[in-house]
Amino acid sequence: MSIKESLLKGFVKENPVFVMALGLCPTLAVSSSLSNSLGMGLASMSVLLGSNVIISLIKNWIPAKVRIPCYIVVIASFVSVIDMVMHAFVPALHKSLGLFIPLIVVNCLILGRAEAFASKNGVFDSFIDALSMGLGFTFALSVLGIIRELLGAGKILGFQVMPDAYQPMLIAILAPGAFITLGFIMGFINLLKKKEQ
Amino acid sequence: MKYYLKLSGILLLICVAASGTLAFVNKKTAPIIQGIAAREEKAAMLFVLPQTKTFSKQTAGDFTYFLAKDAEDIVVGYVFIASEYGYSSDVKTVVGLKKDFSINSIKIISQAETPGLGANCEKRQWQDQFADKKFSQIAVEKDGGQIVSITGSTITSRAISNSISKGIKLLEEAVVQEGGNK
Repeated sequence: MSIKESLLKGFVKENPVFVMALGLCPTLAVSSSLSNSLGMGLASMSVLLGSNVIISLIKNWIPAKVRIPCYIVVIASFVSVIDMVMHAFVPALHKSLGLFIPLIVVNCLILGRAEAFASKNGVFDSFIDALSMGLGFTFALSVLGIIRELLGAGKILGFQVMPDAYQPMLIAILAPGAFITLGFIMGFINLLKKKEQ
Repeated sequence: MKYYLKLSGILLLICVAASGTLAFVNKKTAPIIQGIAAREEKAAMLFVLPQTKTFSKQTAGDFTYFLAKDAEDIVVGYVFIASEYGYSSDVKTVVGLKKDFSINSIKIISQAETPGLGANCEKRQWQDQFADKKFSQIAVEKDGGQIVSITGSTITSRAISNSISKGIKLLEEAVVQEGGNK
């Protein structure tokens, strides 16, 4: 696979949310607005970049029997670092994401990539993989965020874009709206795939 | 035996490296985070007693409160920070009281309660019901007070109400001891 292909795979072909259905809990919970989606996506991507690189560096020293605890320690440390940095430099975003930042630790996307990719590949490839998956995750969250914020609040990034007469569909920014929107997007992607074959 | 020592040794090494990194980052970010918290606290104190010009810190035993004075140096009320463990976190509330110890306004400044349930205590609509309530009325309805609980979050509502009424009691005692603060 060329670098370009491995970078692009996270967006559509192996999109972590829409295709692999990984990390759905934070996806459904925080994608109620575009700014939350971007914040969560970028935070997860930073953790993923850090953990993939470190794990591919130390993979040869870790005995197979204790690899999962080792990965979790590495991932949890990166999450705590991101948590503290966000708290210090973007307090408003940190507040609105709240509990979901510490919960990045248990996002199966991150452990999944560590186990399936970083522990078997070199540093550079793991970095590219993390970038691709992280961007794909951010992309998926943003698509959900845009649709839900537009339908549920008539805004994008807090700016009013719908005409005043538009009555916001509150359900879109509540939990059921996340499931419905995600279902439609997944269905649409499956339809595209079927047509391709 | 040697194999198991190796396993735990490696895990130990990784944990040591991780804690070292965390300690370093914590040392760098802690002062900034504290600064933000202090600024938010000041803003919240002004929010609950907007007519105030100066806040002066007072202590009575373990209890700390702020005496609020306006531009003419006249006491307009008192502010204290109530804190109690709710359902999953410490809920911190800034409480502004008028001179007669009834509540002027409250503002919740930090909480990590369940999103969608207890976290709704951040909504102004819920907090505004505390306005003008007196000590005897501050308890959730289940406990015989006049505070309407957040739906599905009696524990959070109770913790906030109790922390506030406890604070008011301590404040009244402290102010009486000071001789009514003129």
